[in-house]
Amino acid sequence: MKKSIIIIFIVFAIIIIACQKDRDIVAPDPILGNDTPATPYNLVAPIGFPPIKIPATNPMTLEGIALGRKLFYDPILSLDNTQACASCHKQNFSFTDSNTTYSKGITGAIGVRNAMPIMNLAWEKKFFWDGGAATLEDQVIGPIQNPIEMHETLTNVISKLRNHAEYPKLFKRAFGTDSITTMLLMKAVAQFERTIISANSKYDKYVRGELDLSADELAGKELFIDQAKGDCNHCHILGSTFTDFDFKNNGLDSVFKDMGRYNITLNDADKGKFKTPTLRNIELTAPYMHDGRFTTLEQVIDHYNSNFIVTPTTDVNIALLDKLRGRITPIEKTQLIAFLKTLTDYDFITNLNFKKP
Amino acid sequence: MKKPIIFILLFILKWNGIIAQVNVCFNPMFDGSKLVLNKQYFIANSTDSIQIEKFKFYVTNIELFNNDQLLFKEKNSFHLIDAADSTTFNLMINLEPNINFNQIKFNIGIDSITNYAGAMGGDLDPTKGMYWTWQNGYINFKIEGKSNLSIAKSNNFVFHLGGYQNTFSTLQTIQLPVQYLSVFKINMAIDKWINEIDLTKQNHIMSPSKESVILSNKLSTIFSVSK
Repeated sequence: MKKSIIIIFIVFAIIIIACQKDRDIVAPDPILGNDTPATPYNLVAPIGFPPIKIPATNPMTLEGIALGRKLFYDPILSLDNTQACASCHKQNFSFTDSNTTYSKGITGAIGVRNAMPIMNLAWEKKFFWDGGAATLEDQVIGPIQNPIEMHETLTNVISKLRNHAEYPKLFKRAFGTDSITTMLLMKAVAQFERTIISANSKYDKYVRGELDLSADELAGKELFIDQAKGDCNHCHILGSTFTDFDFKNNGLDSVFKDMGRYNITLNDADKGKFKTPTLRNIELTAPYMHDGRFTTLEQVIDHYNSNFIVTPTTDVNIALLDKLRGRITPIEKTQLIAFLKTLTDYDFITNLNFKKP
Repeated sequence: MKKPIIFILLFILKWNGIIAQVNVCFNPMFDGSKLVLNKQYFIANSTDSIQIEKFKFYVTNIELFNNDQLLFKEKNSFHLIDAADSTTFNLMINLEPNINFNQIKFNIGIDSITNYAGAMGGDLDPTKGMYWTWQNGYINFKIEGKSNLSIAKSNNFVFHLGGYQNTFSTLQTIQLPVQYLSVFKINMAIDKWINEIDLTKQNHIMSPSKESVILSNKLSTIFSVSK
């Protein structure tokens, strides 16, 4: 019996030692400096916007956002250290690529889709034109590895960051560990991107009762929601996000050069469908459509007014307008565009928090 | 006083040779012996050559059974096996006592819930080269090499098998009878799988597709157990 008690004692001792060993691995190494926990940051939805859901696995901190911002502007993420995320997502163009139809990658290769705006992504449900990335975090690593974009391997990126003079310290401040991993890179950039919110356009100020819209702008707003006129509201829902977060075939083609959403779901019904983009800052994000085929808003309205093509996967709300082609008059077109331009947010494109640190 | 007695009993049982750790050793083979990367092999009684340059796959959700009764389910069970790194072949599984198993069950590939959640760390880190770059989702099984049968550039063939949505799911569940031993090998006859493919007609799959499902389904027959 005595022996048994000794054995039990030894077993417990082993368990206790084993547990302590685990704890040491988890805790940050105190020798390496600043152990102050990162400062939690509460990202608040602007008035009138839906609440923001932050993933439990990536709580936001000031240090995480700052690190993500530095990474967003750092060409270290590309193979030859020449291109950053910001190279094709420029703040003064609402984080799109300066009226370029297709962006150029580091090798000079030309893309196949128009660079999307990085704005109000905190509410988005899927990312890229085809929704290939299910989370904002996942979206981060796509362009880095794409041979026609930054053309870098994640292994190289992580190694460059680990050997960098500042990044190990910055990751440690943000995440409590200087062991840089893909996951932490994804988390940091996503944290910064979630803060990139546009909610102070002329339209927002009008909604808040701070100013009036002109007669043309107000007429444009009515055309926007009029189902027999603009009918924009079905997908680009008026109010806060100006998108339904869905994927639609908006009648651009009868034969799809780019299958869009189908490439991800392999569902025939998704052939030729692309993400509904927000219309916020639409004045700044030309050219338009997934392939940047339209250079002006006039061309965009001409498409929805008369030129759209109806095929089996064309969105029903567009197909319903088949017999109402040419319904928008030239004057109404200018009014609609006047309204769309009230969605431009000049504070957003000059916001110091989004600039290169 | 009862509790310590149970404790002691369990302890003694454990002492008496009851298995507390199982070493499951994956053994990729070609022509009946251990696969050697970049070695020239021949396809089934022919003069057609084949070299395998990359061979990687995920083993996940390992479970042990006694007949139909589930006795053990490994937590956080994601293992990348890479022919270029023999240290990945041996999976050590810690068991509670009294797990008298006679069946092992595991998946080849990543389940859909994990895929939907996006990239993860550890063996699931996208730096392992098993994550699509243009959409979220893992490559379950990757084999690349050369064969004179392939009409692709440099006679290459590249099969990245994956996909998790609905009818495009490529996840394979493998169940094998095993003896109650602390070490056993799970052999994989890669040549048997290669023989099922007409390399003259098919030399690459790099996205989820019907073809990916067909080739993944053929994987289930190449596994066997030995001591």
